Amino acid sequence: MSRQLIFVLIALSVAIPLVIKIGLPNEVTSEVMQVYEEIDRLGPGSVVLVSFDHEASSLPEVKPMAQAILRHCFAKRLKVIGLALLAEGTAIGEQILRETADEYEAEYGRDYVFLGFRPQFQAAILGMGEDIRRVFPEDYSNTPLIRLPIMRKVRDYRDIALIISVTDGDMPVWWVDYAVSRYHKGLAVAATAVMATSFYPFLSSGQMIGLLGGLKGAAEYEMLIEKPGMGQKGMDAQSVCHLVIILLVIAGNVGYFMRK
Amino acid sequence: MDIGIIIAAFLTLCIFSFLYRDNPFYKFAEHLLVGVSVGYVLVIALNTTVMPKLISPVFRDGRFDYIIPGILGVFMLLRFFPKYAWLSRISIALIIGAGAGVAIPATIQAKIFAQMQATMLNFASVDGIIVFVGIATTLAYFFFSKEHKGWFGKTARAGTWFLMIFFGATSGYTVMSRISLLIGRMQFLLGDFLHVIK
Repeated sequence: MSRQLIFVLIALSVAIPLVIKIGLPNEVTSEVMQVYEEIDRLGPGSVVLVSFDHEASSLPEVKPMAQAILRHCFAKRLKVIGLALLAEGTAIGEQILRETADEYEAEYGRDYVFLGFRPQFQAAILGMGEDIRRVFPEDYSNTPLIRLPIMRKVRDYRDIALIISVTDGDMPVWWVDYAVSRYHKGLAVAATAVMATSFYPFLSSGQMIGLLGGLKGAAEYEMLIEKPGMGQKGMDAQSVCHLVIILLVIAGNVGYFMRK
Repeated sequence: MDIGIIIAAFLTLCIFSFLYRDNPFYKFAEHLLVGVSVGYVLVIALNTTVMPKLISPVFRDGRFDYIIPGILGVFMLLRFFPKYAWLSRISIALIIGAGAGVAIPATIQAKIFAQMQATMLNFASVDGIIVFVGIATTLAYFFFSKEHKGWFGKTARAGTWFLMIFFGATSGYTVMSRISLLIGRMQFLLGDFLHVIK
């Protein structure tokens, strides 16, 4: 079978379910449920720190997860502090945060804030444990944090109820090293599927409280908050495409053994 | 239609054209991506690091002590000039020394002590027993001071099965991740560009 034919099959297996809805079932896993329950038990006014630790190339996976979690946060009237520890996540994080906040008529500076990017993530994570204003004296649009109502009562990790790392790399491991181990903060992770297996040891050790893994994690979270989004829309395509790949693997193996 | 969507769709198709064969459209899109990414990161670094952490404190607030890390930063750039490259070692030594000092205790606590604690044999749950057996047999596979023969060889062999399960799970997740990226682009092409889906 030529490579091009395989590409066409994969393209069709993704495109057709996007156009014609199939409605394949999707179950909520315990690691996603743990994130949902942790956020759900927080009272209105609790502060959640969302770190956009990703690059632009992983947007199709990262955006649905971030949107679903932020929708839950804003629906619960939680205060959200956004920041980025990778440069490419800065503008994307700001856009996702602003768009989602607008859906819930959240006010900038009172209900949410975006602090922007800081290099040297180890120093940034550790520094926020001492004083967030020293690491981020101003927000993304150069407004001093002291002028923003949301930041008046937030000094360090003690004033933050939960840290959420939206990532396509190993940044959550650094959050575990410096924020979880040293400051005993709860950490929830929304990671691209390719990174998810790396975090299961931290999940089973209790160093992470929950994990969303890629588009499926986003779809599960959307089910929990009963707000269908990009995750659920893509799950039919994901399932059909996986089925086609399994069939191709079987066909390849059968062909190999028949030729032997 | 928004000109941005047309440009994005064109560049997406340029990248996809590589699936047929390498071609000038693909090369153009690839080079554009690299150039834009580097330019973006440079601007972000200037706006969020050099300006607020060096230029503003020194020239606006009169914090002249900030000049010292500024000079150490310039030393790093001197690597491009062989005659003065040795000065960059001062900055690198500082980074390595401080980095190791910060990282070593945190890593030992988070990745060794906490992980060992979570792996202690727990007969109360089946998961705990499986985790313990998995860790013990996998570590046996990576123990090279004893020949992998007899009971030890069988234990190490069991470790390879746990490794294979891990590789299989990682491979499955990788496929899922890559297909998710394709779904994202398809949603864009069929939805925002062609309006076939809502």
